[in-house]
Amino acid sequence: MSLSTIATHRPVSPGLTAAYLDWLQMLTGAALILFMWCHMILVSSVIVGPGVMNAIAGFFEFTYMAQLGGPAIFAVFLVHFVLASRKIPFRTAEQKVMWANAKRLEHKDTWLWMVQAATAMVILVMGAIHMWVVLTDLPISAAKSAARIQTGWWLLFYLCLLPMVELHVGIGLYRIAVKWGFVGRKDRSGFKVKENSITYIFIGIGVLTLIRFMFLAVK
Amino acid sequence: MARTLRFNIFRYNPRNPASVAHMREYSLGETESMTLFIALNRIREEQDPSLQFDFCCRAGICGACAMVVNGKPGLACHTKTKDMPGEISLMPLPFFKLVGDLSVDTGSWFRGMYQKVESWVHTSKTFDPAAEEERMDNELAEKIYELDRCIECGCCVAACGTALMREDFLGAVALNRVARFLIDPRDERTEKEYFDVVGSDDGVFGCMGLLACEDVCPKDIPLQDQLGMLRRKMALAAVRGMLPKFLRKD
Repeated sequence: MSLSTIATHRPVSPGLTAAYLDWLQMLTGAALILFMWCHMILVSSVIVGPGVMNAIAGFFEFTYMAQLGGPAIFAVFLVHFVLASRKIPFRTAEQKVMWANAKRLEHKDTWLWMVQAATAMVILVMGAIHMWVVLTDLPISAAKSAARIQTGWWLLFYLCLLPMVELHVGIGLYRIAVKWGFVGRKDRSGFKVKENSITYIFIGIGVLTLIRFMFLAVK
Repeated sequence: MARTLRFNIFRYNPRNPASVAHMREYSLGETESMTLFIALNRIREEQDPSLQFDFCCRAGICGACAMVVNGKPGLACHTKTKDMPGEISLMPLPFFKLVGDLSVDTGSWFRGMYQKVESWVHTSKTFDPAAEEERMDNELAEKIYELDRCIECGCCVAACGTALMREDFLGAVALNRVARFLIDPRDERTEKEYFDVVGSDDGVFGCMGLLACEDVCPKDIPLQDQLGMLRRKMALAAVRGMLPKFLRKD
């Protein structure tokens, strides 16, 4: 039993660390959600035309957002993982308890958290591979992306990564909103329906984008 | 036609070395307006006097008959059998110390929790039993009462994945207690003093937002709103010194 659980005459001050880390976890999560929405705008612009995507990518290149922002996002991604993983059960005993509870309770939000934790592990590996491949081959262009999708196992790779990211982003946004009280009791179920719809729409846009890349002529 | 209900009930007596944890099946004819509390009493009276479970008020006030009903924590006296399928599984609440069968010791944990969050009005005023009670705005009194309705059944803690994984986590019931005193003007504790109680990973920052507490609470206490309010308040308290002056107030 830790010191803080022992009833003392005066409570032992916990310090500010947990609060700072909670802030950082939320802010890095929110930043990554915003980034993923911008990312969706960039890549899905290829549906309108490769020229549009190239223009947006060119803007990021010209303003150094790709060269500097890319590695910065990678760093935020890693920091977010480390902060959020403090809550993920890594010990077998804890995992067993969590599984047993989720199965016994059949509670949707508990299962959503399980999905959030599982997708986080997949995104850590696949997202890191994706970022490495893209950031070591700048500038971004529609032709390069299409060539990658049309090569080897990359289509399958992105068909796996896409729903993982969208589920994680969708559940993450919902979790931030309810955990921090931005969405209260009376708005919770409505917000969840909207959030689910957005997740499905984004997965749909992502699949359309991949199909467009699949059939884009590569010089 | 009245149904015959099948009950699968957890049986184990930790004080008996020969006892082995198992599920035992009982059959019982359903009667009108039957609750799980009535069903359990009939099983004990008619079939198995050794069955252990707790009850007191029969009206959802004492919280003693909380148990896991078909996977979900709830009150036996509040659960009508007509709302249940024909097969009902009953388990003791997890997290708390098992007394035997469906009976758990919630009292020891609650006492420790109350001491830890100092669950009483902290005031420098000396109580005068002869004086007229201090007046309070009715709206505020109702707000406090809304949070004070907690019956300490332990359902929220038993459904909380965080508490089950990390036994030091305070749980929604404790955070709701703190939220209750936070809005009570008679409590003179400062923001820093409240932060010292709940501003850690064992407190509000450990909450993962699974919200099972909110969804299983038999008294429908607005736990989600309290957890959100407390998290924002404590998080702001931690960074208040860094904020520009016009943002520093609550």
